[in-house]
Order: sequence, then C-alpha cells, then structure tokens
Amino acid sequence: MATGLNTKNAPSPSVVLPHFAFAALMFLASSVIMLLAAPKLVFYYHLNPEMLALTHLMVLGFITMIIFGSLYQLIPVVMEVKLFSEMLARITFYLFGIGLLILVASFWEATFGSNQNWLWFEVSGTLILTAVILFAINTLKSAAKSDRMDMGNIFIITAIIYLILTVSLAILLIINFARPFIPVSVIDLLKMHINLGLMGWFLFLVIGVSSKLMPMFLIIHKLPEYLLKYTYYLLNAGIVLLVSIFYFYPHSWAIIVSAIPVFVGIGLFLRFNYYAFKHRFRKNLDVGMKLSKAAFIILAFILLLGLFAVISPRFTAAFQYRIDIAFVMSIIFGFLTALILGQTYKTLPFIVWLQKYQAKVGKQKIPLPQELYSDRIANIHNQTFLVAFVFLITGELANQVWLIRAAAAMFIITAILYNYNVFKIVFHKEKIIKNE
Amino acid sequence: MSDIQHLTDKEKEIAQLLKTVVDPEIAVNIIDLGLVYEIGYNEEEKSIRIIMTLSTRGCPLGDTIIQNVEVVLKADFPDFKVNTEVVWEPMWSPEMITEAGRNALENL
Repeated sequence: MATGLNTKNAPSPSVVLPHFAFAALMFLASSVIMLLAAPKLVFYYHLNPEMLALTHLMVLGFITMIIFGSLYQLIPVVMEVKLFSEMLARITFYLFGIGLLILVASFWEATFGSNQNWLWFEVSGTLILTAVILFAINTLKSAAKSDRMDMGNIFIITAIIYLILTVSLAILLIINFARPFIPVSVIDLLKMHINLGLMGWFLFLVIGVSSKLMPMFLIIHKLPEYLLKYTYYLLNAGIVLLVSIFYFYPHSWAIIVSAIPVFVGIGLFLRFNYYAFKHRFRKNLDVGMKLSKAAFIILAFILLLGLFAVISPRFTAAFQYRIDIAFVMSIIFGFLTALILGQTYKTLPFIVWLQKYQAKVGKQKIPLPQELYSDRIANIHNQTFLVAFVFLITGELANQVWLIRAAAAMFIITAILYNYNVFKIVFHKEKIIKNE
Repeated sequence: MSDIQHLTDKEKEIAQLLKTVVDPEIAVNIIDLGLVYEIGYNEEEKSIRIIMTLSTRGCPLGDTIIQNVEVVLKADFPDFKVNTEVVWEPMWSPEMITEAGRNALENL
C-alpha cells in the first residue's frame, strides 16, 4: 500500500458517529435555551447564568463535541497514522458528554451569590478536564507517530494545547470562585478564558483543518501557505500578549496593542481563504461549501465588530456592552456554527458511506455520499441559519428581546432540519441502485 | 507501460473502463480528472499495471478509488493480475483535468 492512502487508518465509525449525533441534539437544545433565556441575553450584566449555560452548551456540546469526532477521523487521514486508542476516544466521549450536561445544568441553576454551591461545578469541571486531557493524549500520541508535520498539522496540535489551557483555566476559575486566591479580577480571568478558548482552541483548529480540506473540496493547489505561517506567529504572539496583559496590566491601550497581531493574523487567514475561493477549479459550491463561504464572510464582519469591541471608541461607550456581546455571539453562533453546519456535510456522509459501501464500490451501483442526505433540507436550513444569525446580532446590538426570540425560533427550525439530515445520514440503510 | 497520452488500442480500452471509476466527492471520473498517468497491458504475463495519483495526499477516499479501479478491471480481465501503483511525483494539479473533466466540474 502506498503511503498517503489512509482509509484504513480511519477509526471505526462507532467511535465517530455518536459525536455527530450528540452534537446535533445539543445544537437543538441550545436553540431552545436561547428562546427560554432571551430576556437575559440582552442583559447589561451579560455573564449571567442563562448566558453562560447557553454559550457553554454551544461551544462544548455542539462545536467542541463535533470537532472531537471530526478530529478522530481527520488526524489519521491527514497525518497518515492510526488513532492511538479507540477505547480512549469512547471514554472521552462519555466523560465529556456527562461533564458538559452537569456543567450546563449547574450554570442554569446558579445564582453566583455568597451561598452558591460550587460542588457540581467542580465535579463537571473535573470530568471535562479529564476528558480533554484524554482527548489530548489520544490525538497528540497519534500525531507523534506522524512524519508529516506541515503548517496545517502544526495548527491542529497547537489548538489542542490551547484547549488544555482553556479548560485548566476554567477549573482554576471555579476553584477561585469558591475559595478566592488569584489576585486578578474575575472579569479579566474570564477574558483570558474566552481568549484562549475562542482564539487558541477554535481559531487555530479551524485554520489547521481548513488548510487541509480546502484543496480537496475546492480543487485547488499551490495555496499561499506562507500566509498561514505568518498567521501562526501573529496569532500566537497576540494570544500570549493578550492573556499576559489581562493578568498583569489590564489597561485599554495595552489591550489594543496586544490585539493588533490577532487582527493582522485573522486578516491574513481571510486573505488565504479569499485566494482559495477565487482560484478554485470547482466553481459551483455544494451546500457544505456554501455555508463555509458564508462563515468566512461572517469572520470578516466579526473582525470589524472586534475592532469596536477592543478599541471601545467614545461614541459607542453608551452601548459598549452590546457590541461586546454581539462580538462573542457572532463568533459562536455565526462563524463557528456556519462552519460546523457546512462541514458536517463534507465529513459525516463520507464516514457513513465508507462504512456502508466501501466493499461494494465498483461491484454494484451505489449512491454517492451526497445522496445520503436531503440537499433541499440542507439548503433550507442554510437560509434559516443566516436569517437567525442576522436577527441575533441585530437583537444584541439593538437590545431587542423580540429579535432574540425571533432568532431563537429560526435557530430551532435550523436545528430541527439539521438534526433530520444528521440522523438520516447516521441511520442510513444500505441501498443498491438497480440498473435500468 | 504507456503514457496516458500515447496508449495502445488495448490500453485505450482499459482507459475507457477506468472512466467508470469516479471520485465520490465530485462525481468526476479519474481519467478526466487526470489522475491516471500510465497504463500497462501485458498479454503474455497476463498483467495490467496502472500508475496513478490522487488529488491530494491523504485523500480520505484514496483506498476506495484504488479498490474501484481494481474491481472494474478484474471484472473485464478476470485472468489478469491488476497492479495499481499510487505515486506522488509528478504532483497532481488541476491543470491535468481534461476538457471533459472541466465541463463536468462546471456542471456539478
């Protein structure tokens, strides 16, 4: 077998598929929570229990869960190695799933008053941290066997390291809430946590994975990889600077200066994507790539919103908190959600298709992977998602609860349609097409 | 072995068969995608040799495509030994896609 052929490295679908199914359900649950918690999502004090329950359910239950499943499939493929342990992956799934459900329930029930019981936060935090460490061991041990260390792989490995730091800091936060010992304000610690999570874990991962998948899905070669190299150094520098500034010197001018490399880095990554889409051979985008394209357009919008969030100009002072909320919400419910929804259609059907049909290829007429789901349903939820996103961000900026409720309703429709397709793929029954 | 541009009649017949092997991601056949570099047909040794590449190293569907090549050729040449070799040099590029492949991609 020539190197570079990796289907046989891929783990058993029974390891990967539960992640997609669970994540899809969590997306639906998040949309329902958004509807229930709408009035609290425009609150001046935005770190309230409902907002924390919603954001953690989305970033851990939907986005991170699906990333875990995808990486178990992707790392063996792109790094040309077998997954270190399927058993470890299964244990990780349960620890992470149970931990996040307890965490979200704890947030939902929390008061954060002086009589707050922190026990369940500590239990869930420990479960999640254990799961993340097991995930890191599994993926990094797999990566260590690989001799293919290009920029994409380096981004993925760095993302995993940032994930450990993000969750470790969260545990410290919980302990610090219960028994204060860190000489830094809670708000600055939370900013460090958000920065590490959104930029360190998610952004690095997105860049690493997209640099791998873009050439395959868009049919393009000779991408300007030097842009990714600059992005890597700039983002790392920006994250380290920002986290240090929040800890040692949380003054606005220092934060603005520290954010500059991040903005330039993201700008270069957008430039990389623009090049890929512009020079692609596959002109007609399928449903998955349309959403991915939308995600990068949303990222450009986030960059603009981020400028206002970081600089906090005088004319936005009266409603600065709304910009801050819209900024974080647009990353989670806009950029990351669009990418996940889109890339589900570029990964999940292939995993199931290989499981069901690999042995029949060439021998019988079989459906194509893209025939395992309803393209029409996917196109409809693309539209409802975009409407939901616009409602949500407008609602946050205009401080209108009815718009948040409208957004939640559209997210619920999106999630129901998305779940329909995910479960249609997961429970696909083998089908042989009869010759006419 | 013959370069894909200079095939014998028998090798052309094999190339036609390989047009039934498609990349499942984009539903375009591997000949029109320019993935097949050389085809060798040896009547005496009862062997067929295919030298080909994949659009990207680490293509998740690589094994499936190779298996498809072998199944398709074995069906029409049951007495022949089919040997498919995947190479990464020269590296595939979109410029290798044929006119028919480009049309197929545009109509996706």
